[in-house]
Amino acid sequence: MAVAARISPEPFSPADELDALLAVAEGDGAVVSFVGTARPRSKEGEPIERLVLEPHPRLTAASVERIAADAAARFGLAHVRVVHRCGEIAPGQPIVFAGAAAAHRRAAFEAADYLMDRLKTEAVFWKREEGPAGSHWIEPTQADYAERRRWE
Amino acid sequence: MKVLFYGRLADMIGRQIEIEMTQPCSIAALRERIAAAHPAAAEAIGSERVRACVGDAIVADSHVVSLDETVEFLPPVSGG
Repeated sequence: MAVAARISPEPFSPADELDALLAVAEGDGAVVSFVGTARPRSKEGEPIERLVLEPHPRLTAASVERIAADAAARFGLAHVRVVHRCGEIAPGQPIVFAGAAAAHRRAAFEAADYLMDRLKTEAVFWKREEGPAGSHWIEPTQADYAERRRWE
Repeated sequence: MKVLFYGRLADMIGRQIEIEMTQPCSIAALRERIAAAHPAAAEAIGSERVRACVGDAIVADSHVVSLDETVEFLPPVSGG
């Protein structure tokens, strides 16, 4: 059960991350990945110039590592790979890559789903959208919390 | 006692403040002291959704902090 999880202050390439996961997961059989990207418009339809994810000096990395390790343990994954941006993210750019490799596809699909539900609600970042109308802090929605509770 | 803030709390209060204490106090009491010193942030600092962290561990409002410890207040997190 190999867990690779990191925070990236710089842009990353989801294709490179998937390639890295496929390389280590050569014998596994099933590989599933998810990429979350920064939306160009807010829920209210306002243009977003940048998304800013503020990390904690220690808790952020620890939270992402813990979530990845939990996914690996819960779904019996052979490999899991998570990369999460911090800092300023331009619209359209990747925020997070979450990939899971397992012997069979059901575990891999569910692990990727689980990873995102946990990252959305528990990864230690403070997120704000900045645009011409100003900046405002974003919190998980009621739907995000409901999706997280599915796994309890 | 050093107190650190993140997210919207840091916008309201600043990244770091010093709170003068003469004896150990509970997190609950610390929240009240901060609210008194920063009334605009009173509702935010009193929210149960804002968690207190000491030594990288989340602590309850009843937790007692000593004078040389640092307390961090964390607003609701949002990843992904």
